[in-house]
Amino acid sequence: MGEPFDFSYVWSFLPKLLSTLSTTLLIVVSSLLAGIIVGFIVALPRLYKVPVLRTLSEIYISFFRGTPILIQLFLFYYGLPEILKLVQVDVTRAPVLVFVILTYGLHTGAYMSEMIRASVTAVDKGQVEAAYAAGMTGYQAFTRIVLPQALAIAVPVFSNLVIALLKDTSLAFTLGVMEMTGKAQTLGAVTQHFIETYIALALIYLVISFSIEKLLGMAEHRLLRHEDRNSPVKKTFGIHRNRSYRRIIAEMESGKGGVGL
Amino acid sequence: MIKLRGISKSFGRQQVLNHIDLTVTKGEVVVILGPSGSGKTTLLRCVNYLEKPSSGEIAIGDFSVNCKHARKKEIHQLRQKTAMVFQQYNLFRHKTALENVMEGLLVVKKLPKEDARKRSIALLEKVGLGSKLDAYPSQLSGGQQQRVGIARALAMEPEVILFDEPTSALDPELVGEVLAVIRKIAKEGITMIVVTHEMSFARDVANHVVFMDGGLIVEEGTPVEVFNHPREERTKQFLKRITPELNYSI
Repeated sequence: MGEPFDFSYVWSFLPKLLSTLSTTLLIVVSSLLAGIIVGFIVALPRLYKVPVLRTLSEIYISFFRGTPILIQLFLFYYGLPEILKLVQVDVTRAPVLVFVILTYGLHTGAYMSEMIRASVTAVDKGQVEAAYAAGMTGYQAFTRIVLPQALAIAVPVFSNLVIALLKDTSLAFTLGVMEMTGKAQTLGAVTQHFIETYIALALIYLVISFSIEKLLGMAEHRLLRHEDRNSPVKKTFGIHRNRSYRRIIAEMESGKGGVGL
Repeated sequence: MIKLRGISKSFGRQQVLNHIDLTVTKGEVVVILGPSGSGKTTLLRCVNYLEKPSSGEIAIGDFSVNCKHARKKEIHQLRQKTAMVFQQYNLFRHKTALENVMEGLLVVKKLPKEDARKRSIALLEKVGLGSKLDAYPSQLSGGQQQRVGIARALAMEPEVILFDEPTSALDPELVGEVLAVIRKIAKEGITMIVVTHEMSFARDVANHVVFMDGGLIVEEGTPVEVFNHPREERTKQFLKRITPELNYSI
């Protein structure tokens, strides 16, 4: 396929691919923000067991976790304008990026809501009672006691979700968005050095994923400084115990890749 | 003075508390005894509305709440007049011992930080934890955590402190240090309602012993009356089971 392999192309492709990094990051960041907001809205009915809304949340989550992201992209990009046409709304001229961010936002939102629900329920209820008993309001108890601890529990799952989202954005090229993978396709087609472009592309994804993981790992360490790693109880279990039990629970409950509920 | 009048509570169809009346005078140490499932913890949790009573009235001083139509604000006020020490300590795990005690002072009482700090340090010293101010709960033993819990309750200067089986989750060798602290503050004339299984503690410290069974107060009186001369058959049986070596028939 194409020209003979020449590693020097990898280096020359790097800056060309990086020129579209901003598009990739735009999709990631916008979808994340949308995902967090949607996640909160979807998690609340399940946390507070609101009858009808809760079922709707569950259906939403099942759909987005149970169908491939590629199909979701097609459904939103090709299907949504058709449906909106029925109610006399014309969105065919809207930029592709809008559909892409909408899809990724809703997709991530499903996972985010599971992450939020798992993290909030992982904070022990006794502390909330203690806060109420001291005379705190529900809002004070949530923001001062539950939220800081839920955040710490959520970080490892969040980190997984961000990295998964980053890699999923590579599918946006199927709708013709010029993000990194899209750019790689064109570069490959023009120069006939496909392998080199994909190596360069993989390198960039790898470096970004690795940085995200490290950064969020630091954040987690800081948020969990109250959980003493050298306490006598944990020492007896040796190094295998340095991942906290709650963290493992949180990861199990809403790790990426689960299907349905 | 605390007055509970006609407190009832049911979970679904099961009635856990059946028209409980209880009066606690200022400075009194009330110990509630009873077999498990008798409703003693539920009664205690009704006093600060962690459990919503189905009906009845709770009065602390001249402030009273009718449980049939209690408003959020009233519940909030009621909780500020009480404090609770929990079986599982329930310390805020992301805060140090000092921050745990300061939290309510800052957030609820809105004290300036420096005042809250001074008061909290003094209280932690009082419960013997002056050297553990900056320790997180995960670095403290159960007994130490529970003493922080007691300091946290004292900090709010409540009219009454509610103790929900404060030593039940502790290793036997740590029970003593916690009871010693409770004894110490009992002597200072702080009103307390204590649910416990520590009979010798109840005997020594209580002014007023309440025996509950099946959601009812079966018998109440001074420790001597209840422990040495129980009138009700159910009380006798319970005491016999708990302390078989003693003969209560005299």
